[in-house]
Amino acid sequence: MLAGLEVRRVRVEADIGRGEVAFHLVGLATTTVKEARERVRSAIRNSGLEFPQARLTVNLAPAELRKEGSGLDLPIAVAIALARADKRPPPKTAFIGELALDGSVHHVDGVLVAARGLRTLDYERIFVAAEDAAEAALVDGLDVFACGSLVAVVNHIIGSEPIARFDRGPTYPTDPAATEDDLAHVHGQEEAKRALEVAAAGGHHVLLSGPPGAGKTMLARCLPGILPPLELHEALELAQVRSLLGELPRGRPLDWSRPFRAPHHSVSTAGLIGGGSGLALPGDVSRAHCGVLFLDEMAEFQTPVLQALRQPLEGGRVTITRSGGSVSYPARFTLVAATNPCPCGWATDTVRACRCSPAAIDTYQRRLSGPLLDRIDLQVGVHRVPLETLSTHGEAESSNEVRRRVVAARLRQLERQGCLNAQLKPARLRQVATMPQRSRRTLERWAAQRGMTARGFHRAWRVACTAADLDHSPEIEERHVLEALGFRLQDAAA
Amino acid sequence: MAEQLSLELAHAGVVVVSGLALGIDAAAHRGALNGGGVTVAVMGTGVDVIYPTAHVVLAEAILAAGGALVSQFPDGTAPRRHNFPARNYTMAALCDAVVVVEAAEGSGALITADAALDLHKEVMAVPGSVFSPLSVGTHALIRDGAGLVQNARDVLAAIGAGGEVLDDPLRAPKSFGIGLLRERDGILSHLSDVLALSAAEIARKLQLPIAEVLGRLTALELEGAISRHKDGYVRALRRGKERA
Repeated sequence: MLAGLEVRRVRVEADIGRGEVAFHLVGLATTTVKEARERVRSAIRNSGLEFPQARLTVNLAPAELRKEGSGLDLPIAVAIALARADKRPPPKTAFIGELALDGSVHHVDGVLVAARGLRTLDYERIFVAAEDAAEAALVDGLDVFACGSLVAVVNHIIGSEPIARFDRGPTYPTDPAATEDDLAHVHGQEEAKRALEVAAAGGHHVLLSGPPGAGKTMLARCLPGILPPLELHEALELAQVRSLLGELPRGRPLDWSRPFRAPHHSVSTAGLIGGGSGLALPGDVSRAHCGVLFLDEMAEFQTPVLQALRQPLEGGRVTITRSGGSVSYPARFTLVAATNPCPCGWATDTVRACRCSPAAIDTYQRRLSGPLLDRIDLQVGVHRVPLETLSTHGEAESSNEVRRRVVAARLRQLERQGCLNAQLKPARLRQVATMPQRSRRTLERWAAQRGMTARGFHRAWRVACTAADLDHSPEIEERHVLEALGFRLQDAAA
Repeated sequence: MAEQLSLELAHAGVVVVSGLALGIDAAAHRGALNGGGVTVAVMGTGVDVIYPTAHVVLAEAILAAGGALVSQFPDGTAPRRHNFPARNYTMAALCDAVVVVEAAEGSGALITADAALDLHKEVMAVPGSVFSPLSVGTHALIRDGAGLVQNARDVLAAIGAGGEVLDDPLRAPKSFGIGLLRERDGILSHLSDVLALSAAEIARKLQLPIAEVLGRLTALELEGAISRHKDGYVRALRRGKERA
């Protein structure tokens, strides 16, 4: 059974005793588990097995743990069948699956998470529904048995008709699928493109500010394409989240491409961060783990929703507490936020006039200010591209070329410090990313001139470090600092 | 424009009167302060009620520079829509000349201009692009006979005041000291005083990589030669005190 990404082991015991004919299910079972009684009874009968006509007690241990989910159907039925046949279950073996009334075994969510948890608990074999076998087989060192029906499982255990071990086949990464969103198709916007490159290289968050139709969404969609494909452990972490949500594609569960999530601005806190009754399920921030979370029209999001983003932005994880307990999910994403400069969107446009009152613009921009904006390293203005540029300029640099530079820069960082620049704590930053006197003075001068916070200072430092990494420069030169400061739209004059 | 105009007029010793509102009003006050001059804010609220509240700092700066906050309304009067036209009338009454920098149709600035006509004061207007809705009002004023304002000299001539005027803003700046010396490829020559240009556009014009252009722009900004706005970069206003 699962509690978020944690696995709770449930031992199922069945006892056939003397007394009136009854079927007792004990051990703090919730409604879905209590209903298992009816499913299990029918499944056993319809499988051609005999349902014990005696006093049957099934115990789910440990008794103090609330049992949830239909995945317990299969172990309960197996326990009863084995008790009837007076057999002991094989050791270090786990069963997960929902039963249909005809005795067939069906999919449950979270099989991958369960399999990984069981592996760490030293289990060696796992029985799952046929459609979940590929998912469970992603875990190394665990023998997976795909079971079509209850009777097949029982026959396997009593030895009359063994099931072949599921062969997962090769799971090497495929080339990232060529996407339609390639930087080569974005005309102009060099400033924003460069910001995306720096963001991809250093794991920084980006804010794109500009009028409607300037290409903010298109730019954001290009970001996954300039990121390297997922690492195996990243792909597995992401697959676990998807597994819990039942979103893994059957048959080919491991996806190596970076996720791109773009929740609508009406999203609730629970939808974005994760939530639900009992135990929280992952939200969009975890679905975007290792990928891109795009918030279009950021000022239109509800303030509490935006505030809730602060924890994952800082720590790369979210911890959500609900009545059923606390769960923690990974949520290390690159945030791309887009905003209009004012409610109507045309405040900074050179041709179209803005129809908003100054007070309305002020209110609009104030919704974005403060702690959240302070955590976005790269803030750039996106301007409408003059039409003549759209038609005359040829193809721009393709995402593939940019990705090569990004991969090289990320490699430098991982070799130097084991994480991306954006995740460096200030103390580590001072240690690994030393700045020559000249660069430091420039940064300090700007900080003093613009009244930058200490956090802002460190953020600019990290961006400068990424600029140097993209440049294959062993130290942060003055031009890198200057470029980093060029991405601070927040320091612009009013 | 309002800020530059105001800066130069203040530098020439003219007292700049405006309404402490957002936008042009604030720019006019700020320009006068930067020009080392005196400025008067005519308020549509009681003098103890700063509206908008964001302008508390500006109001203090006005007082600190020897200017004044004045109001015809009793202390404690909250902002009321119907009070502002009356404030505009007072503003016109206090001035020798009214310069309308931007006015859409039905703008409050046009009320001030009407009042100035009633009071036989000089009315002047700054023209803009014929496509800009914010210049509809000023163009109408000019059509009706208002004086055309292109720079501070025009205003000074109209009110018969002397005084030294800063360089013609249409001419390129003469010197930015160290900032200009390092400037070999002419980012500055591509920038205008008024129309903001994005870094991408500058990079395209100079055929330089964007990373380098961003760095150079920041360097120029550090020197105070240019300033960054939400919509791009412009050449910085020359401040009175830097000339002295």
